Amino acid sequence: MDAFRQKYVEEARDFLVELEKGLLELERKPDNRGVVEQIFRIMHTLKGNSAMFGFDLIDELTHQLETIYDLIRSEQLKVSKSILDLTLHAVDHVGKLLEDPDGADSILMGRHQEILKAIRAVTGEGQPDEAKISSQGSGPASPRAGNATWYIHFHPGSGVLKNGTNPLYLVEDFQELGSFLVIPDLKGIPALEEMDPELSYCGWEIILSTDQDEDAINELFIFVEDDCSIDVQELAPIDLLSQEGFTDKARNILNDGKGEHLQALRKEVEKCFSTPKEEAASDKATQTKASVSSGTQKKNTISSIRVSSEKLDELMNLVSELVTNQASLTLVSEKSQLPEIISIAENMEKITRQLRESTFDICLIPLDTITTRFHRLVRDLSGELDKEVEFFTDGTDTELDKNMIEGLADPLMHIIRNSMDHGIESREIRESMGKAPMGKIRLSSFYSGMNVYIRVNDDGAGIDPEKLRRKAIERNLITEDTQLSRKEIYDLILLPGFSTAGKVTDVSGRGVGMDVVKRKIEDLRGSVEIESELGKGSTITIKLPLTLSIIDGLLVTLDKTYFVIQLAVVDKIYDVATSMLGVSHNRLIPLSGDMIPYVDLREDLNMEGEPPPTTKVIVVRYNDLQVGLCVDEIVGEYQAVLKPLTRLFRKQELISGATILGDGTVALVLDTNKIIDQVSARESVIAYTE
Amino acid sequence: MAKNILIVDDSESIREVVSFTLQNEGHNVLVGNDGVDAQRHLTGDSIDLIITDLHMPEMDGIEFIRFVRKTNEYRTIPILFLTTESQTAKKLEAKEAGATGWIIKPFVPAKLISAINKVMR
Repeated sequence: MDAFRQKYVEEARDFLVELEKGLLELERKPDNRGVVEQIFRIMHTLKGNSAMFGFDLIDELTHQLETIYDLIRSEQLKVSKSILDLTLHAVDHVGKLLEDPDGADSILMGRHQEILKAIRAVTGEGQPDEAKISSQGSGPASPRAGNATWYIHFHPGSGVLKNGTNPLYLVEDFQELGSFLVIPDLKGIPALEEMDPELSYCGWEIILSTDQDEDAINELFIFVEDDCSIDVQELAPIDLLSQEGFTDKARNILNDGKGEHLQALRKEVEKCFSTPKEEAASDKATQTKASVSSGTQKKNTISSIRVSSEKLDELMNLVSELVTNQASLTLVSEKSQLPEIISIAENMEKITRQLRESTFDICLIPLDTITTRFHRLVRDLSGELDKEVEFFTDGTDTELDKNMIEGLADPLMHIIRNSMDHGIESREIRESMGKAPMGKIRLSSFYSGMNVYIRVNDDGAGIDPEKLRRKAIERNLITEDTQLSRKEIYDLILLPGFSTAGKVTDVSGRGVGMDVVKRKIEDLRGSVEIESELGKGSTITIKLPLTLSIIDGLLVTLDKTYFVIQLAVVDKIYDVATSMLGVSHNRLIPLSGDMIPYVDLREDLNMEGEPPPTTKVIVVRYNDLQVGLCVDEIVGEYQAVLKPLTRLFRKQELISGATILGDGTVALVLDTNKIIDQVSARESVIAYTE
Repeated sequence: MAKNILIVDDSESIREVVSFTLQNEGHNVLVGNDGVDAQRHLTGDSIDLIITDLHMPEMDGIEFIRFVRKTNEYRTIPILFLTTESQTAKKLEAKEAGATGWIIKPFVPAKLISAINKVMR
């Protein structure tokens, strides 16, 4: 049962997230019946499960909450802010109760009582839990002293088979209560040609001797009592069936077909007290029925399962190792020149790639999973700051590596908190500027190339670049005569020790600046960019790589050293005579009619040795920019398992990691985006000077 | 005798408890997350009993019961639904739709088995 309780807790947490989401949506659209239904349904399920798994406090609370939403559902109560506030509090409280199901913490219990009281005030329910007194069927049927004998008339409605009920099972169940005599009543059965096999025509009369009471007998009919004619009468407070002769007489009475059997039986009972006789009740009603066929094929399909994230991490690790080993195998097989081995290695490679891709896919989860807490944050802060703000999401079905999603939550919270606090102006200011009184914050996400972009955009005050500049000078981050582009000025915000808030507020000024956001995003191999227009709003864009650990790369060599370039950014590869490279002083090279800027990696990376007569120029693309990278040789495609470089190499920007080749050699992974950034910066300088 | 039993519930923990109990009794268990999902099991193969929740997203229990009753192969198989004590109106609605009986939540395994034995042998 403990394993089930664990599952219950995990599931309950999901329910709470869904509830929160639903409640916030209801706040936006108080008239949406669908949302109310959904909230009610989740509460109902949560309540049922809580009772099932012994979480009584949660059961109690959700039962009360459910009442509120039942009243809203039936339009006896209107959705109001206070109800939503109360429900959200209660939902948070349930979250805490999941950790402390028995209410060991007295402060928590105090809150529990407060919330219950508040809910009852809403529902107008004075007495707690009156609906919860269990009266299912009857408890375990209580045996009474000695046997009694009962007459039972049971005639199912003709449609009983259509409900899947088999009345014979009911009749058989009397065996469990005691000894019994059954006589079928077949009078209603029509001629064969008039018979509808899906209708029931038969009835039964039963004499039962049992030590159980009437409730226990009625319990047997619980599913059918509404559509059947049932009559249960006590004949005598003793076991008549064990009396000699009674069974025969009773059988005769019931078989005579005259009706009025009960009266006849009662008369017989009176006589019976003087002339007992015994016979075993052995009659069994037989009747054809729509038979339920049974099969025995094993089928046990489940559409989804829950897996702990450690298991996924381990799977991911193993796949990474497999990819590395696969590379060794390929290498060895090529050396061996044995066709069988080569073909096995090729197959293995194909399977490994598929395995890698499916594993990645498993580890991806949509951004949606964390957006609810942003909705909640905006809602709560709106109240705290007295600002009206609407929060939109866009493209949050975009999927990211689960580790990334976890790492993103805090930075995004911080950015949104900043937008709420410093971005969106107060209602008065907004109105005086001719803006809509309600501010807007939008979270959007999309894929582009090998990256995922996440953008937070507000329509608030924007950031004043001049103010930023002055502040940076004040803090000795730049000097008076430093020339900065607009983008560079905004990047100042991301520097450690830079805080833009005029005053430190409760909300965002917690001593944690945007530099922490930047660092956290960089830990995920991503980058942060800020754009803003004064008076119109700000946009903060986070760019992240799709996966954290394995990339499809192009393996190249430069002076016998191996490098890996991300395959996704590679556009074309050209053969160029090395003598061509030295010619152009502005580092542009004509390729297919375009002048393309290039980077001579041999030079930039300080490689020694003579270049070969022909250089390979790999054209990589990033946004609309094209840049050629010059290398000596192309080895081929390669799946690289990324390993981070040590801290010592953090300062350099050209290499983002390393990977181990099949033969154990280390290859360095080039960060092409950074290289392109550097080149484009250089290009713009060239553009200025020309 | 092993029976094929279909369990339809949007709550995974309930599905698991019910499955576990029934599998212990030696039955084969099929599961569906809601009415729509459960339909993939209604392919004409033998199903001896359906146990369904009433409140579910997509297709709720009542609709699902109606759907099953309209499917030729399953018109007369027993269907039990899961409900709570307080829901008398729902109970009637489900019976109306063609349900055979019900199981009141919360339940202990013995209760579940006894309810099943009422409608299936």
